[in-house]
Amino acid sequence: MVQSKKQKYTFLAVCLLPTFIMFCIFTLYPLFSGLYYSFFEWSGSSQVKTFIGLDNYIQLFNDVIVPDTIVHDYFLVVTKVIGIMIMAMFFAVALTQLKIKEAPFYRIVFFFPNIMSVVVIGILWMFIYNPTMGLVNSGLEMLGLGDWAKPWLGSETWALPSLVLPSIWAGIGLFMLMLMGGISNISKSYYEAADMDGASEWTKFWKVTLPLVWPQVKISILYIVITTLNGSFVIVQVMTGGGPNNSTHVMGSYLYQQAFVQFNFGYGATIGVMILVLSLITVLLLQFVLRRDKVEY
Amino acid sequence: MKRSVGQILGRAGIRIPLILWSIAVLYPIIWMFIGSLKSNAEIYRNPWGFPEILNWQNYVNAWSNYNIDTSVWNSLIVTLVGTLLTLLMAIPTAYAIERINFKGSKLLFTLYVSAMMIPMVLGWIPLFFLLSNIGLLDNVFGLAIVYSVSQLPFTIFVLTSFMSTIPKSLEEAASIDGMSPYGMLWKIITPLSMSGIITVTIMNAIQFWNEYFMALIFLNSSENYTLALAIDFISNEAQYTNAWGTLFASLIIAIIPVIVLYAIFQRRIAKGMTEGAIKG
Repeated sequence: MVQSKKQKYTFLAVCLLPTFIMFCIFTLYPLFSGLYYSFFEWSGSSQVKTFIGLDNYIQLFNDVIVPDTIVHDYFLVVTKVIGIMIMAMFFAVALTQLKIKEAPFYRIVFFFPNIMSVVVIGILWMFIYNPTMGLVNSGLEMLGLGDWAKPWLGSETWALPSLVLPSIWAGIGLFMLMLMGGISNISKSYYEAADMDGASEWTKFWKVTLPLVWPQVKISILYIVITTLNGSFVIVQVMTGGGPNNSTHVMGSYLYQQAFVQFNFGYGATIGVMILVLSLITVLLLQFVLRRDKVEY
Repeated sequence: MKRSVGQILGRAGIRIPLILWSIAVLYPIIWMFIGSLKSNAEIYRNPWGFPEILNWQNYVNAWSNYNIDTSVWNSLIVTLVGTLLTLLMAIPTAYAIERINFKGSKLLFTLYVSAMMIPMVLGWIPLFFLLSNIGLLDNVFGLAIVYSVSQLPFTIFVLTSFMSTIPKSLEEAASIDGMSPYGMLWKIITPLSMSGIITVTIMNAIQFWNEYFMALIFLNSSENYTLALAIDFISNEAQYTNAWGTLFASLIIAIIPVIVLYAIFQRRIAKGMTEGAIKG
């Protein structure tokens, strides 16, 4: 190209610098100063920020609620991965392998909750679980199972499991589409070969579909894990606020509670560092566990 | 090929879960709409049934007594300003990274893309004080800036992959005609990437319209509430005032724009999201 070096670098600067500066101010700087804050005791409103070294981290290790929040986060991760992947895989196979005429209808309907706001989903499901006017309890009564009715979100035992269903409800469509994309790329000849060998649908799934769609499975699992660890607090905040009696607090909602409700900003930042470290470790471990040699037939 | 009885039964069997899940997805949404037309008494008395008279008053109530009108306006501003800012920042960056050879282009791309995996909740505490110091806390424009930067990595990721499909020969020809790189960016690449730009913009708009947690942290006064905060506020109020019909109505108001966008751009949205998800 007939451009001087100077022209090229001015153009690069114009294109890249404003964006990069914004990214530094509103993403990188907050992340790093979050780390920095974790070494201070600070109530925010007062100007006094006291350096306390590792005291926040010592407090973190002695905080009885913290292990629970971690357990809750991973409970959501595991139940969501299992629930979403099994159902999304079933639907994806059904809609691609079997010639179902109304498949586009299911695709459109199942995906719709993925674009709904978590607030709307959370409030809608609060209603569904509502002990007096909700669909779950009144539905159970209509089926003659009135004994099973519970104050779902008000029960320390049932509140956390009750949060899984809305997350699965809202998540399936996206992962079904991702798996469908993978499955539709599989060459028909593999299935024809399997048919010649007289393989059952079940064998075909395990020997052909699953191995060949593994990259999409792996990405989906990683994506569910990352978004759950980084974002499960939104549904928690909307539906239970961490209660009853801390039984649904996850790491993020506990951070919010500490920093923005009780104004322990330094300690909140320490919880944030913990979230960061745990999610990075989890993602690295998962990438190792899910690694599988590329299948070729 | 003749189908065996077993296959036909199997096909019917496979439809049952599909139909059940469609009901599980659609019914709550329809129920929400029916609820928005019921009186409070009816919501209690008959959770599953239809209203005896259509109670449109709930919508009027939500719109004027619970300030949904103001928050719809705020959400619109945040969404519009946020999506425009994101494009303004992301298009030139995506172009430079994708098309211009320079040292560190890979590194810069990796930096942006890896930001998608980092839990930003840690950054929200300092961001709160940063916005407070520059006078943008409790301000919809401040929120729009934060939103737009938060969607930069995703937007840059999608746009670079889009721009990489545009043939390089077009720029070479334009360069021989003496077109400047600025001209190429705005007159060739931007129009040709329009389809990608529209896709990410819809995705970002839906994201900004729906966002709740950053709004919760960065906005304080009710006249600045976005729709997500306003309905959360009504939801908390409803515990005491029993304004359930009003709450249902405001939920419907919140999802109408999303339904309209989805009805028009269903394929684009699905494609954009599945591509965006591959980022991890």
